[in-house]
Amino acid sequence: MNEGKPSDWGRSRVLPLESFGLDQADLSDPYNLDIDKVTRLNSGNVYRIDEAQIFSSIRIGDLSFRLEMKPIFEVTISPGSAIRGPIDTAYEFNVATDKQGVPVHSELKSYVIAGNYFKSYSRIAPQGTAIVNVTIPNNIEGPALIIVLARASPNTRIVSYNAYPFSHNGSEPNIKGTFLRLSPLDYTADVHFIYPETELSNAYALSYNYSSIMTRTPISNQSVNYSIPHYLDVGPTLVAVTGWNSTSFFTEWTAYPQIPLAAGADFNSDTRANVFTYDHIVTIDSTLYQCRIWIGGPSE
Amino acid sequence: MRSISSRRNVGQIRIIEAFLSALVIFSSLTISSNLPLRQETLAYERFASAGLQALAKIDTDGSLGRYIEAEDWSSLGNTLNLILPAGISFNLTIYNAQMQQVNTQTISNGSSSSQDTIFIRYVCASQSSLFRCYIVHLHLSVIR
Repeated sequence: MNEGKPSDWGRSRVLPLESFGLDQADLSDPYNLDIDKVTRLNSGNVYRIDEAQIFSSIRIGDLSFRLEMKPIFEVTISPGSAIRGPIDTAYEFNVATDKQGVPVHSELKSYVIAGNYFKSYSRIAPQGTAIVNVTIPNNIEGPALIIVLARASPNTRIVSYNAYPFSHNGSEPNIKGTFLRLSPLDYTADVHFIYPETELSNAYALSYNYSSIMTRTPISNQSVNYSIPHYLDVGPTLVAVTGWNSTSFFTEWTAYPQIPLAAGADFNSDTRANVFTYDHIVTIDSTLYQCRIWIGGPSE
Repeated sequence: MRSISSRRNVGQIRIIEAFLSALVIFSSLTISSNLPLRQETLAYERFASAGLQALAKIDTDGSLGRYIEAEDWSSLGNTLNLILPAGISFNLTIYNAQMQQVNTQTISNGSSSSQDTIFIRYVCASQSSLFRCYIVHLHLSVIR
């Protein structure tokens, strides 16, 4: 692990990558990684560095390399009941927080977004489970999205998250990335439309303690960007964007840093000699994440 | 004459075969006796690295010292349990500078029957206004 060359290659959208390294520049703490260098490894980001760039800049001869990063524990959101009343619809969600099946005592912050509707809920999951009850007015267009940020109770630097899109008012959610691609980098969320007739409504920046509506800067008729605030919060910032395409409403989301991610060669589908794996706990923006690195010889 | 010469050749081939077989058996024994030792060394190094990393990560923002001074053994144990890889059993003992045990409760995620225990010693300096240092002894073993 080093900062790579140039040392600010993560933030730049144009600088060529000469030497691969993920450490944050000017920090002596090992495994303290740069939020943008990590984000540029995510295949969903339009500014990602591809495998060829990684291999040419990592300089480990003919060895193959893979890197995966994810939060230390998992958040699972399962839908429960949905009861439609005369004014609003009540939804129940079961949220579980665990590390490889072992429950994690955590504090939850849930955000519900549908059209212009936005509401937050706080819960505690003492045995790694909690029920989140949500109500959405019936005059709000669906589909809707629930985002859950979970903070491990014993240490608030251990954070995880997940999101669950669900049907509201009969509108079914689309697959993630159907209408646009969200690419956070250098505290800016770039939105690239997949269809030209896409219109955006609201964009939210969400952390455990803070939430705000971001202001947009049009770049072209195919892209828009939003400035992501620097919250004083430990943990990732989740970016959610609502809009519509012809008559279909949608809500898209991503995390900044854009984790979970997997970059490099696929070690599962081929036969490589002398494969070694290394597990590390890394810090990104004061939050702890799990990192696994594979290094292996050429295919046999 | 041809028959005697042929028998001699067969005898020589048998001697060469026996010599080569002995060489192969000896080499395989030498290599196989070294393999487990190397694997054990690698496993030991990985465990020791994971344990040291976990303590260093908790200490980076001063949390380790805060847990000790607040005598919050449960949070310290739960944090360590989250950061360490799954399948590892740990037992933590904290001493002050005079090597007197500080933790009044067991800090562990359950007992392990494994005989192979890895020991890590870590020195933590508290970040409070009064300087104190603690010696942390971490024992790790694989849950079988």
